[in-house]
Amino acid sequence: MADLQHFDVAIIGGGPAGQAAAVALSGHGLSIAVIDEQPRPGGQILRQPPARFAVQAWLEGRSYAPLKQLLARFQALSGITWLGEHSVIGVQQGSVMAMGPEGVTTISARHILIAAGCQDLAVPVSGWTLPGVYAAGGIQAFLKGQQLLVGSRVLLAGTHPLQLLIAAQIVAAGGTVAAVMFAQPRSAMIGALTKHPLAALRRAPDLLATAGALRTLARAGTPVLFGAKIEALTGNDRVSGAITNQGQVACDAVGLCYGFVPQSAVPRMAGAQMKPAGPAGGWACVHDEWMRTSVPGIAAAGEAVGVAGAAAAAAGGSLAGIAIALDLGLIDADAADRAARQPRRALLQHRAFAALLDAAADPTDHFPKPAGDTIICRCEDVDHATLTGQVSAGGSANAIKLATRCGMGACQGRNCEPSLLRMIAETGPGSDPGFTARFPARQVSIADLLPPE
Amino acid sequence: MSADRIIHGVVRGEPITIIVDGEPLACFAGETVAAAMLAAGVDAFRSDRRGKPRGLFCNMGSCYECQVTLVASGRRVRACLTQAVDAMEVVTRG
Ligand SMILES: Cc1cc2nc3c(=O)[nH]c(=O)nc-3n(C[C@H](O)[C@H](O)[C@H](O)COP(=O)(O)OP(=O)(O)OC[C@H]3O[C@@H](n4cnc5c(N)ncnc54)[C@H](O)[C@@H]3O)c2cc1C
Ligand code: FES
Repeated sequence: MADLQHFDVAIIGGGPAGQAAAVALSGHGLSIAVIDEQPRPGGQILRQPPARFAVQAWLEGRSYAPLKQLLARFQALSGITWLGEHSVIGVQQGSVMAMGPEGVTTISARHILIAAGCQDLAVPVSGWTLPGVYAAGGIQAFLKGQQLLVGSRVLLAGTHPLQLLIAAQIVAAGGTVAAVMFAQPRSAMIGALTKHPLAALRRAPDLLATAGALRTLARAGTPVLFGAKIEALTGNDRVSGAITNQGQVACDAVGLCYGFVPQSAVPRMAGAQMKPAGPAGGWACVHDEWMRTSVPGIAAAGEAVGVAGAAAAAAGGSLAGIAIALDLGLIDADAADRAARQPRRALLQHRAFAALLDAAADPTDHFPKPAGDTIICRCEDVDHATLTGQVSAGGSANAIKLATRCGMGACQGRNCEPSLLRMIAETGPGSDPGFTARFPARQVSIADLLPPE
Repeated sequence: MSADRIIHGVVRGEPITIIVDGEPLACFAGETVAAAMLAAGVDAFRSDRRGKPRGLFCNMGSCYECQVTLVASGRRVRACLTQAVDAMEVVTRG
């Protein structure tokens, strides 16, 4: 095991939430570590190209502008130790353990902020383990970060409106999108928007981005279909098509886009109180009005507390930063309240919009139906029929994990837990607290955990 | 079918070569090993227990479908998070 490093504050995640917290904490002379497994800051929304690349017109859309400004401010801060390429594997009060290129490091810090973001909800459907089938956000990250189009004919399918943006970005980059398939009827999406016109209006730039995406797709002749459900993905050694309720589609890449779930491994392991994150599933950190979790010295912000978009992540990050300054005695309660006014207001607004988006994108009734031999746990190859048997026998998630190895593999259950919990909710005993989180949050070899000889 | 690099408006790092399962593979400094493999048409990262090829899935470090072994250190790493370096040698099987 490598060295021990001391900081006043350790921030896990260099996305908008982590950046905003660091900005709010700057100017107090604190030593701050920002830990991220990506080499460069930005988070999922601004996955930066490698420092060696020069990319003209990178993420020019209007909705990216304030986030790029925040990133620039963060990158210009002094007193920040950027620990890129470091995966956090464990957190407890006062310390963070991270695996870097040279091995495991322990970081001690009085205050820890978990700003680890979210991940695409992994949605099993027959054929989804074929090469060429991706989480839609992964396809987008190849575009933004690596300037790479994963296929020459990409099919996007799911329920989340983000797939429109991803499709438009593929088209703008010179790619072809076979179709954008929304499993829900059009009325379900429009209905959610018209029920909350005020929340929708306040976020006009985002809606305009969607409108712009629709125009780009219309110009390219890309079909945008509603009530279009994928039934199976087909191909021999890689994906070559999809069978849907509206016929067959030829494609050489597929992006599944049913929503996002918080990255919850780290806070769960730290023992923080969690709550169900929303219609897409997953777990979010419970927090107080200053973003403190139930564990003293550990705060959470951004999508770790619920998926609400990058602007909400930034507002929550600011609030967490202000609160840490308050808790460290660097500012008094009045100053903290004053500073918190604007981010609090922003957070409320953005969460209202997120609730609307959640309703419009709700995948609950629109998931593909897996076949008996569809793999649910990708790491341990546990199929749907095996899990159906266990679920109808009344097993809890933990018991089913022990019996079948579902959730025991390299991803620590991040992919399969939401699917299993949906099955338990539908046909089993009902609600279930999910898998007990186990160290390490990211795989690490035993040798790296042992003290050096 | 391989993935396509966007050329227009993009200047990459210098051309380098990495070695994947013994085969040289041309790519650019700074690219992730995953991007380099996809661009070369190598999209199977392992075989599952049914003998079927598996590709990578999330491209953000969470699914672990992209693991490869760095020959120099013996470490298992996620190709989607690992930057390609000239002459780096990886094998897809553990
Ligand atoms: C692949 C993907 C693409 C997305 N694209 C968009 C988009 O185009 N538009 C949009 O509005 N929203 C998008 N989202 C939602 C988006 O993530 C958020 O709105 C926003 O980025 C959230 O900010 P954040 O700071 O909470 O988290 P993030 O931006 O996700 O930042 C969290 C950071 O924490 C790091 N991290 C997580 N776990 C660990 C760990 N154990 N160890 C070390 N580091 C860790 C991650 O590498 C990441 O850089 C996307 C989400 C995903 C998953
Ligand atoms: S592709 Fe999921 S971890 Fe790399």
